[in-house]
Amino acid sequence: MRVVLDLFRYNREFAIGVVLLGFVVIFASLSFFSPYPPNDSFVVPPDVPPSWAYPLGTTSRGQDVFWLLTFAIRNTLLFGFAVALLSRILSLVIGLVAGYAGGIVDRILMSLNDTFIVIPLFPILVLFYFVMRDKMSWGLLALAMSCLGWAYDARLIRSIAMSLRTREFTETSIFSGMSMRQILTQEHLPYVMPIVFSTLMNNMNWSIGLEVTLSVLGFTDINTPTIGVLIYWANQHTALVAGVWWWILFPVLLVVIAFVGLFLLAVSMNEHIDPRSRLNRVTG
Amino acid sequence: MSAAASTAPVLQVEALRAYYKISSFGLDREVRAVDDVTFHVNANEIYGLAGESSCGKTTLIRTIAAAIKPPLRVVGGSVVFNFAGRPVDMQKADDETVAAVRWKHLSYIMQGSMSVLNPVRRVERAFVDFAFRHIGKRKPEFLDIVRAHLQRLDLNPDILAAYPHQLSGGMRQRVAIALATVCRPEFIIADEPTTALDVIVQNSVLAMIRDVQKEIGSSLIFVTHDLAVHANLCHRLGIMYAGRLVEEGPTAEIFKAPKHPYTTHLVASLPRIGNTAPKKGLEGTPPSLAAPPPGCRFHPRCPLAMDICRTQNPPMVEVLPGRRVACFAVTPPGRAA
Amino acid sequence: MAPLLEVADVQRTYALGSILSRHRLRAVDGVSFTMAADRPEIFTVVGESGSGKTTLARMILNMVAPTAGAIRFRGTDLRQIRSGKERLAFMRQVQPIFQNPFEAFNPLKKLDRYLFMTARNIAGLTAVGEIEDATDRALRNVGLSLAEIRGRYPHELSGGQLQRIAIARALISRPALIVADEPVSMVDASLRMSIVNLLRQLRDEMGVSIIYITHDLATAYYISDRIIIMRKGQVVESGEARAVLDNPQHPYSIRLKQAVLSPDAAGSAGRLLAESATAAET
Ligand SMILES: Nc1ncnc2c1ncn2[C@@H]1O[C@H](COP(=O)(O)OP(=O)(O)OP(=O)(O)O)[C@@H](O)[C@H]1O
Ligand SMILES: Nc1ncnc2c1ncn2[C@@H]1O[C@H](COP(=O)(O)OP(=O)(O)OP(=O)(O)O)[C@@H](O)[C@H]1O
Ligand code: SF4
Ligand SMILES: [Mg+2]
Ligand SMILES: [Mg+2]
Repeated sequence: MRVVLDLFRYNREFAIGVVLLGFVVIFASLSFFSPYPPNDSFVVPPDVPPSWAYPLGTTSRGQDVFWLLTFAIRNTLLFGFAVALLSRILSLVIGLVAGYAGGIVDRILMSLNDTFIVIPLFPILVLFYFVMRDKMSWGLLALAMSCLGWAYDARLIRSIAMSLRTREFTETSIFSGMSMRQILTQEHLPYVMPIVFSTLMNNMNWSIGLEVTLSVLGFTDINTPTIGVLIYWANQHTALVAGVWWWILFPVLLVVIAFVGLFLLAVSMNEHIDPRSRLNRVTG
Repeated sequence: MSAAASTAPVLQVEALRAYYKISSFGLDREVRAVDDVTFHVNANEIYGLAGESSCGKTTLIRTIAAAIKPPLRVVGGSVVFNFAGRPVDMQKADDETVAAVRWKHLSYIMQGSMSVLNPVRRVERAFVDFAFRHIGKRKPEFLDIVRAHLQRLDLNPDILAAYPHQLSGGMRQRVAIALATVCRPEFIIADEPTTALDVIVQNSVLAMIRDVQKEIGSSLIFVTHDLAVHANLCHRLGIMYAGRLVEEGPTAEIFKAPKHPYTTHLVASLPRIGNTAPKKGLEGTPPSLAAPPPGCRFHPRCPLAMDICRTQNPPMVEVLPGRRVACFAVTPPGRAA
Repeated sequence: MAPLLEVADVQRTYALGSILSRHRLRAVDGVSFTMAADRPEIFTVVGESGSGKTTLARMILNMVAPTAGAIRFRGTDLRQIRSGKERLAFMRQVQPIFQNPFEAFNPLKKLDRYLFMTARNIAGLTAVGEIEDATDRALRNVGLSLAEIRGRYPHELSGGQLQRIAIARALISRPALIVADEPVSMVDASLRMSIVNLLRQLRDEMGVSIIYITHDLATAYYISDRIIIMRKGQVVESGEARAVLDNPQHPYSIRLKQAVLSPDAAGSAGRLLAESATAAET
């Protein structure tokens, strides 16, 4: 907790990142107070520019952009978080086990890893969409993307786990009768947590970006409002040509704010919890 | 060398106090690891430090090398370096000056240095990171220097390509020593640098350190538990007990006629090949530095303890030229004032 | 009855160097010895730095498999120990003490955790009271107490204290064999004597056999029953400790003994060193 406070006080990037992200999160939580369900259309007059009654205007489908946006950003953030969390868990388990076990286990896991690193993401996800079609949902996409997003960081974690394996305290742990699971979760995990945190932010950015791209092109479940889906619908109604610019501008602005916030957090945390300085043995 | 530099000590430590201040869960604890230590090191001199485990040797050395990190704090006293007639008070000087002294003149071989190497990088990288800029030669020449230096430490230069975990403990320790000496520093601080070496290798490592020291007349503070090394290497010896310096003098005299009861015990407890007479460790438990005994800190374990020892702290008194002892049995209280 | 430990012509090789210049290194090369089950002893291994002592210890601890040869503990080949249960049973009997006390415990974790874990997992105690008693008893054997250690982190203690905690941890399960890799190299002369005396006491009173790896020939002389001297992975000389050290035969052993610095040489500052350095070169 102290660390967070200190960071806030002394690290400008961190402070800005927290403010930006805080803004986005608060905005998203407003969705719980929305007067309209997100998927209802023609609840308000269509194509009204930003005004007192509709601060961000309304869409051509008769939705209030402000309230719609609260749902969209909430879903987008949740999506990003879910993907990041799932892929973190995957990369942790695989990285730690491969680094600790070594030998044949390591080789198998790492060749799997290499396969995932070289797979071209975008075509696979589009393919995935065409295979699933109507069954495609938010959750399925998150699952698919987590499966594609762990590989790089797992390699990073593995290299740390390998060096932890060679340290004497791991052997003390073994001779204290700890199981592999205990050693990994209790002895080694604290060393990789900083990396997990900072890559969490990066991974959220990556997955949000990918999701927006896919949605804009219509390769996702277009019935769950996300930022990308919002833009997709705006394009369907040729919003820009029709002069309904607010339908596009505000979602883009919001997602950019979220992006920058996450990025700044990742950078500042990376700097602060530089694994090397934490890993540095405290000399006796 | 100017006249000032040759007479003034290179390092003057005055009434130094360095405590670990720990406050956690509402509990405040103060470990007085270095308490009122005064000594100096001359140019071209090897100063040995010995003492019980956890009596504060590493802390003292860390303070001198300005490698102070919380919770360690300097509470009082001063550490003054004097390189080429320019004294620098390490406590008062600004960060830049301190960094310059550390970077340019000092070299600190840390205790347990065999585990400071980064486990995922080859040994060569450590040398490049650490010394390349310092030596200021081109890469191939630099590596030649490093190889030659490793050979002086009985290490095969091939180990440059190895990862630390592929080396034995003693090899890693020598790598750490090589890192610290390859730039030929003016002041070497070595904290138990030879603990993991066999005696033959140890001797050549010590000889190397000595050669480097002689070549440029540098000074050396050498901490070890191996009194035999002290006997053969150091000009002067300081004995610490529970955060205090209790005896100091020329090495030979300390071994011949130890004065402080702790030193006496230490010298007597040395095992020797060919001698199997039972030797005992010191009776009693080492004092807690968080709550040290009042008076002389050695009194609970001292065979000569008197009443005054339980209440008053014996001052460090020069009993012979260059020979200081802090003990009431050596300097009766009346004369000490 | 099967001997406690039987090391039969073990060998361990490592591949070294980069991909371009690969060569094999024989870290341990044909070492054999036996330790009897009914006669606890202190078996000392000394030798050159990098001669394979630690590698040998790790093979005996079943942390590294021999490339050739076999190690049998109470008649069981260590290669047959596979299941988790068998491993725990083995660790209850054989415990290590490592070289570097600063590395022996995780710097981010409290020390008492390792002691409690050992008491629970290896010694098989379950009640909290029992666990703490066993831990405290073991710590008192080495001159510490649970009250002093509880809740502290490794960086708060000195090297000597850490090493004593490492020894205490190994003692908790009352093992039959302790493999101690340079256990006293980082403690002061007086404490060194008390730890070495402690090892002797473990042998005499608790019947623990000890493999004592060291560079300190003086303590080796002081406590060991038998000794082997290693160089480049091979045993160059072995036998009854005092006989070997009093009267070494192999040229390396002779050199090793001659190189031992004597505290009695005080005052010769540097002279002896200069001599031995030239001696080493010739
Ligand atoms: N970071 C720390 N926090 C709290 N106490 C500490 C810390 N580091 C050291 N101490 C305490 O300070 C005292 C002195 O420790 P120091 O490491 O200086 O001893 P030492 O003389 O070098 O011992 P050794 O010979 O065993 O290395 C010890 O009692 C130790 O427990
Ligand atoms: N994992 C490994 N990979 C490659 N080589 C290794 C490995 N472990 C040890 N070696 C090599 O094996 C040899 C013996 O090492 P070992 O650690 O057993 O020596 P030691 O006798 O314990 O030395 P010291 O007295 O310095 O601790 C060394 O040359 C070392 O480089
Ligand atoms: S002052 Fe007293 S207690 Fe301290 S060492 Fe001297 S005689 Fe012993
Ligand atoms: Mg120390
Ligand atoms: Mg070793």
